[in-house]
Amino acid sequence: MMLMVQDLRVTFPLDGKTGLRAVDGVSFDLAPGTSLGIVGETGAGKTTIARALLGLHPPGCIQGSIRLDGRELVGLSEEAWRAIRWRRIALVPQSVGTALDPVYRVGDQIAEPLRYHLGLSPAEAWGRSLELARRVGLEPRHLRAYPHQLSGGEKQRALLAMALSCAPDVLVLDEPTSGQDMLSRARLLDLLDALRREGGMGLLVISHDLAAVARLTERVAVLYAGQLVEVGPTAEVFQDPRHPYTWGLLHAYPDMSTARDLRGIRGAPPDPANPPPGCRFHPRCTQAIDRCRREEPPLREIGGRWIACHLGGLQTLLRAEGLRKTFSVDGGEPEERVEAVREATLDIREGEVVALVGETGSGKTTLGQMLVGLLPPDGGRVVLEGRELTAARGKERRAMMSRIQLIPQDPFDAVSPRLTVAEMVREPLDIQGIGTPEEREAKVRQALRTVGLPASPDFLARRAHELSGGQLQRVVLARALVLEPKLIVADEPVSMLDPSEQARVINLLKEIQTERGLALLLISHDLALVRKIADRILVMHRGQIVEEGPGNRIVTRPEHEHTRMLLEAAPRLG
Amino acid sequence: MGTGHRTLVYLLTFWVILTLNFLLPRLLPGDPLAALLDPSSSDYVYDPDVRAALAAYYGLDRPLPEQYGRYLLGILTSDLGRSIRLNRPVAELVVGRLPWTLLLVGTALLFSSALALLTGTESAWRRGSWADRGLVSASILLANVPVYFVGMMLLLLFGARLRWLPLAGGRTPFARYPSALAAALDIGRHLILPALTLTLAMLGAKFLLVRNATVNILGEDFMLVARAKGLPEGRLKWGHALRNALLPFVAHLAAHAGMAVTGAVFIETLFSYPGMGRLIFESVTARDYPVIQGAFLVVSAVVLTANFLADLISLRLDPRLREGKV
Amino acid sequence: MPGTFSPLEGERLSGNFHMRPLNGELGFGLILLALCSAVAVLAPVLAPYDPRAFSGQPLERPSRAHPLGTNDVGQDILSELIYGARVSLTVALAAGAGTVLLGLLVGGMAGYAGGWLDQALMRLVDGMLSLPRLPLLILFATFLGSGLPQTIAVISFLFWPTTARVVRAQVQSVRQRGYVRMARQFGASHLYVFLRHILPAIGPLIAYGLVTSAGQAVAMEAGLAFLGLGDPLVKSWGLMMRFALNLPGLFLTDRWLWWLLPPALCVTLLILALALMGIGLEQNLNPRLARR
Repeated sequence: MMLMVQDLRVTFPLDGKTGLRAVDGVSFDLAPGTSLGIVGETGAGKTTIARALLGLHPPGCIQGSIRLDGRELVGLSEEAWRAIRWRRIALVPQSVGTALDPVYRVGDQIAEPLRYHLGLSPAEAWGRSLELARRVGLEPRHLRAYPHQLSGGEKQRALLAMALSCAPDVLVLDEPTSGQDMLSRARLLDLLDALRREGGMGLLVISHDLAAVARLTERVAVLYAGQLVEVGPTAEVFQDPRHPYTWGLLHAYPDMSTARDLRGIRGAPPDPANPPPGCRFHPRCTQAIDRCRREEPPLREIGGRWIACHLGGLQTLLRAEGLRKTFSVDGGEPEERVEAVREATLDIREGEVVALVGETGSGKTTLGQMLVGLLPPDGGRVVLEGRELTAARGKERRAMMSRIQLIPQDPFDAVSPRLTVAEMVREPLDIQGIGTPEEREAKVRQALRTVGLPASPDFLARRAHELSGGQLQRVVLARALVLEPKLIVADEPVSMLDPSEQARVINLLKEIQTERGLALLLISHDLALVRKIADRILVMHRGQIVEEGPGNRIVTRPEHEHTRMLLEAAPRLG
Repeated sequence: MGTGHRTLVYLLTFWVILTLNFLLPRLLPGDPLAALLDPSSSDYVYDPDVRAALAAYYGLDRPLPEQYGRYLLGILTSDLGRSIRLNRPVAELVVGRLPWTLLLVGTALLFSSALALLTGTESAWRRGSWADRGLVSASILLANVPVYFVGMMLLLLFGARLRWLPLAGGRTPFARYPSALAAALDIGRHLILPALTLTLAMLGAKFLLVRNATVNILGEDFMLVARAKGLPEGRLKWGHALRNALLPFVAHLAAHAGMAVTGAVFIETLFSYPGMGRLIFESVTARDYPVIQGAFLVVSAVVLTANFLADLISLRLDPRLREGKV
Repeated sequence: MPGTFSPLEGERLSGNFHMRPLNGELGFGLILLALCSAVAVLAPVLAPYDPRAFSGQPLERPSRAHPLGTNDVGQDILSELIYGARVSLTVALAAGAGTVLLGLLVGGMAGYAGGWLDQALMRLVDGMLSLPRLPLLILFATFLGSGLPQTIAVISFLFWPTTARVVRAQVQSVRQRGYVRMARQFGASHLYVFLRHILPAIGPLIAYGLVTSAGQAVAMEAGLAFLGLGDPLVKSWGLMMRFALNLPGLFLTDRWLWWLLPPALCVTLLILALALMGIGLEQNLNPRLARR
């Protein structure tokens, strides 16, 4: 038995006007004995899909196709649906508290479908209920009780037993773990996992609990605003998300292995009654192009994954291949050559925070400067947004360089002592010749406000020596922002500041990065600091990148010797 | 609260009623009881036997606590005094009349409840339809029209105009019945109009209650789950929706038990039906205090018992009201 | 007799009342009420005779002189009917106001004070609600005498518990709102809090209570008069019905058409008018029921 859903659309009437499209063109398959997860946030349409599979929506609302073993279910009469419900497709509902009728015993409610669908006698049905109860870990006394006498976890298991009663072909689990304490949840997941392995049934797990989905499913579909944005094998999708929304979702999920602070996805979920034109995710996407605003991207297969994105998924913003740099040390002696950077290859995705850590002399600063184009590499190349930065010249190069900005370590060195704050921040605009003088003034003021500095005439007239380290670093950041770059490379941005200032500037960087959808390359020796905001960490040692991986993995299970040393040397209080 | 506690509350309420019944005539200005025995008052009872019986029963010359004690004793030995008008023991009168009222009220309660439960559920199932909206409007109308108005209209139509049904009485006067069946039929014929009137009077409010409660229930999650289980429509409607609607319905019955009695008074008066209601009316007209008081007590007792029974049924119906976890 | 059906019993009300513009029920009921009031006020002008005057022969049929005929002692029925409006409206107003005032007092105190006072008062209310109404009413009417003021007093006395319950619930909910506690923080007296915050919040509730109590009172008064317990000196519609029914063989002729039916219709219309107004007001208080 195969469940095939094709272009499912569910519309709810809304006060006479054209309706609210809760589900807009969802397609997926479920083969016998397999499990599929559907993840998404509240309001994405998950429960709507669950109910559609049981024909619980008013007939006029549903369009598209739902086929069970080839038989079309959409448009069936209520009578015909009754034969299918529970018997072929069963549901374990979300709201445990009110899902059971308060006036009947739990056992009777489990037995009820057995009596009506299979025609069992009351005694037979009760006997079967006892078996089912045992299977889910309930005792006979639970069956004799009334719903209000059971705890949430017990009720959940009773609902599960009830769903299994007629041995359905497809079992739909709607938020199986919501509202439960961690222990009940763990036990339930064990139970569901065991059931899955027993085989035969197709399992559809609908949830916003990514860990539960990770455990229970082989494939996962990501739902956003009523549409699927990514479908693929669960382990792969969660390790390596390709759609910007999936990526954001995974990074917003709290789990024990995350060392980094949570950050959400900027913007807000769309109003279901009024979705944005084109790609529904585009207002919140960091790599949206013009086409995204106009056309809806179809779900198509790209390298074993189904993705709905005009750009084919998350874009690599910056890619460095095989960069090399060797310095000669002057001094009269036979030339000493220092290989500062050896065969460095890395990439930075849109909207990512990558940290490059290493001790002094590891070559990280050199690498950073090569990436922004300040230092020509001896070998290898840098590709920014698909175009080669290292080969570009003139106007093209200027334009590309404005997309990537550097914030150096020493703010006092980064600015001229003679310029006022206004002039400092305005400098890039002056150089690039962007806008009228008034427009530049406006951009300067806005940039200052973004970094939390006043835009008053008094402040604008100050000079470098009249500002604190932290304030000046912010001015430098403001300066970097006026050109509206896509990537900021920050080289030890806070190491020269007081700890309290450090925290504030780092948080500011993170905030701006999230809000503006920038990518950030944070170069630092301080592992304790970067783990707070880094998505990926690259460890550099003697000019080479010795280890890279997701931030939480590097910090908890380092593989390279040097990484471990760095971790041990990192400051700890107590 | 537990059954024991509840019983206590009801007994207490009854005691309050008893005491009120006792105190009221004795505390009011004009001293209506004394007037019965005072030759100069308009209420003076001329028949010496009756007067003597009343004097003995009320014991107005004794101190108040003693009067109270004798009164309570009288209740226990079913001595409720003697009717001034008919010169018979009040208890005897009551026993003769009570069954008729119980028949009337019982029949009406049965039919109005059955109708309300059936149509209310169906109406809620089809909420928003023309039928539903029509029924709701009609019920609101019905619930507000005074019962005697309904009775009058029915009497006029079926009794006076069409002459299908008798105009008055519990049975044909001076009738002799060849069999029990004939007796039952005759009583039944006389029962139809009064029972119909009372049924209609109670139907409006009951229907609205069932319909609204069911509409609420249909929106609950367990109804969706029941539907998802592929259960037949009948099971959903009656097994789940109605079963849950019974809870507020019985609570309503309990709270409005008194209403049925109120209706009975008017109806029996209108149809000259020989029940407690009519007895009260006749006694009131004749200022027959002992009967009024006695009838009042009995009616109160019946109402309280009905209340109590409804409470017990509620407990039985709603498992959440019972104590104890698994 | 089921007076007016009060769906508010047992319902929990939100703290926010929005007075919606006049809806159909409220408007229609208001019109009927206004009509009745006009008749009552203009009675001396409208009625062809003094209702107590023996203006014709007993039991006359309707004619130009007596559009509804005369009663068993020769008084004009139409005039009785018109003046009867005064009685019913007086009862409606007085008993309605009495009920609401008592309910407001008790319910307000209980809801505001809380604690033992609340418990004690609620025991009282529960007790009174468990007593059967009409028998009690009859008992009181019998022994208190049958004057109109007594009737009004007794009706108020028996009906206030329901209002008290609803008022108490609402006062309770308003009382624990933040802004009330803040006002107390600023040093406001209880009276200030009651007048400034609580009263406006229960305003619509009072209006609703007034209207429904009035309806119930009219029904009760007519019923009592119908039973013969009303004030025999006051020509109410209920009394007219009583006298009509006292006539043997009333239904065998069509006399009932102009003697019994008109007062019955008038009572019904007035009760319906008040009930409609109640429903209209109730939709302001509980929008959930309205939308369903």
